[in-house]
Amino acid sequence: MDRRFFLKGSAAVIPASVGLQMLSTRWAFAQSADFGSDVDVLNYALTLEFLESEFYRQGNDAGLLSGKEAKYTQTIGADEDAHVAAITETIMKIGGTPVEAPAVDFGEAFKSRDSFLETAHVFENLGVGAYLGAAGFIKNKDILQAAAGIFGVEARHAAVIGNMLRLEPEGGVYMGSTETPQDKAAVLKAAAPFLAGAGAMTGGAAATL
Amino acid sequence: MAEKEIFNGEAVMSFENEHDRRNFLKWAGIVGVGSSLAVAGFSRGSVSAQAEDSDLEILNYALTLEYLEADFYNRGVDGGVVSGRELALVTPIRDHEDAHVAALTSTINDLGGTPVKSPKFKYPEGTFTEKATFLETASVFEELGVTAYHGQVTLIKNVDILAAAAAIAGVESRHAAILADLTGGNPFPAPVEDTATMKQVLKAAKPFIKS
Repeated sequence: MDRRFFLKGSAAVIPASVGLQMLSTRWAFAQSADFGSDVDVLNYALTLEFLESEFYRQGNDAGLLSGKEAKYTQTIGADEDAHVAAITETIMKIGGTPVEAPAVDFGEAFKSRDSFLETAHVFENLGVGAYLGAAGFIKNKDILQAAAGIFGVEARHAAVIGNMLRLEPEGGVYMGSTETPQDKAAVLKAAAPFLAGAGAMTGGAAATL
Repeated sequence: MAEKEIFNGEAVMSFENEHDRRNFLKWAGIVGVGSSLAVAGFSRGSVSAQAEDSDLEILNYALTLEYLEADFYNRGVDGGVVSGRELALVTPIRDHEDAHVAALTSTINDLGGTPVKSPKFKYPEGTFTEKATFLETASVFEELGVTAYHGQVTLIKNVDILAAAAAIAGVESRHAAILADLTGGNPFPAPVEDTATMKQVLKAAKPFIKS
C-alpha cells in the first residue's frame, strides 16, 4: 500500500475548512448577484478602464510632468487604452454589448503634479482591488487569464506611482504582502465622485458598476 | 535538477464540507474543467484527489520560488548591498517574500500536503557586493515570479488557492515594477502580464539551485 493511498483513506481527519480559512479571508467575494455573467464582469472592468484611460489622457495633456515621470504616465495611459480596446473586443467576441464610456469629472486632479499622481494612485489601487474582487466570478478561463494579466499591470502602475510620490514603501508603494480584493459596492463608492452627474449613476455605463 | 525532484509533497485532500464542495464546483466552472470531472467530483473519489494533487504541486512550486526570493533578499538586506531609498524599497520586499514562504507552507500543511524543503542556493560572484548586480538579479527574479504565477492561473483548481495565489502575484508585480524602475528598466513592459510554464521557470531558476 503506498503512502498516498493510506493518507487518502484517512483524509477525513484533516479539517479542510480550517486549512482554507486563511485563504478564504483574503477572498472578498462580492454578492453573488453582483455579476450574472462574464459580460457583466467585463463591463464592470471596462467602465473602470474607461475612467482610467480618460484620466490619463487629460492628465498627460495637462503637461504636469517631464522626463521619466512623463514617460511613465504616457505608458500607463497607453496600457489603459489597450485594456479598453481588449475588453471591448472580448465582450463583442462573446456576444455581449460593451458599455459606453461614462461621463467623467476629475475635479481638481490636474491642478498640479502631486494632485495628478495622488489621484492616479487612488485609481490604480482601486483597479487592483476591483480585479481581484471580481476574478472569482469569471467563468471562461481565457478571460480569467487576461483579467489576471491586467490586474498585475495595474499593480505595477500603483507601485511606481506610489514611488514617484515618494510615499512610504509599505502602505504607499506596496500594500502588504498580499493584495486586498474589493467588492463591487466598495469600488462603486470610490469611483462615484469621478462619474459626472447624478444621472451617470442611474443610467448609461455607470449603471453596470 | 529534474522538474519532479523538488515536488516530494504527498498531496491529499478531499471535500470535507459543502463550503469546499461549492468552491470546487464554482472553480470547476471558472477554469472550464471538463464536465465529466465536475460530475465525477461529487463522488469524492479519486478524481477529486487527483485535482487537488495538482494544486498542491503548484503550491510547492510557488513555495520553491518564494524560498529562492526570500533567501536572496535576506542575504542582500543583511549584507548591506543597498542603502537609502533603495534599502527602504527592498526591505519590505524581503518581508513579503518571507511572508509568502510562511503562508504557502502553512497552507500546504493545512491542506494535508507536505511542503517541500528549501533547496540550497548559489549566486554568481558579486551578487551581494555590487549594487547593480544585486538589483538586476532581483529584477530578474521578480519578473520570473510574475510570469510563474500567471502561468498557473488557469491550472489552479481550487478557487481559494487561486485567490491567494493571485493576491501574491499582484505583489510580485509591484516588486517587479519597482526593481525595473531602480535599474533603469521598463516597469511596464506590456499592458498584460506575461506567462511562463513551470518547465520554463524551473529552467531559469536552475542556475541558482545548488542542491
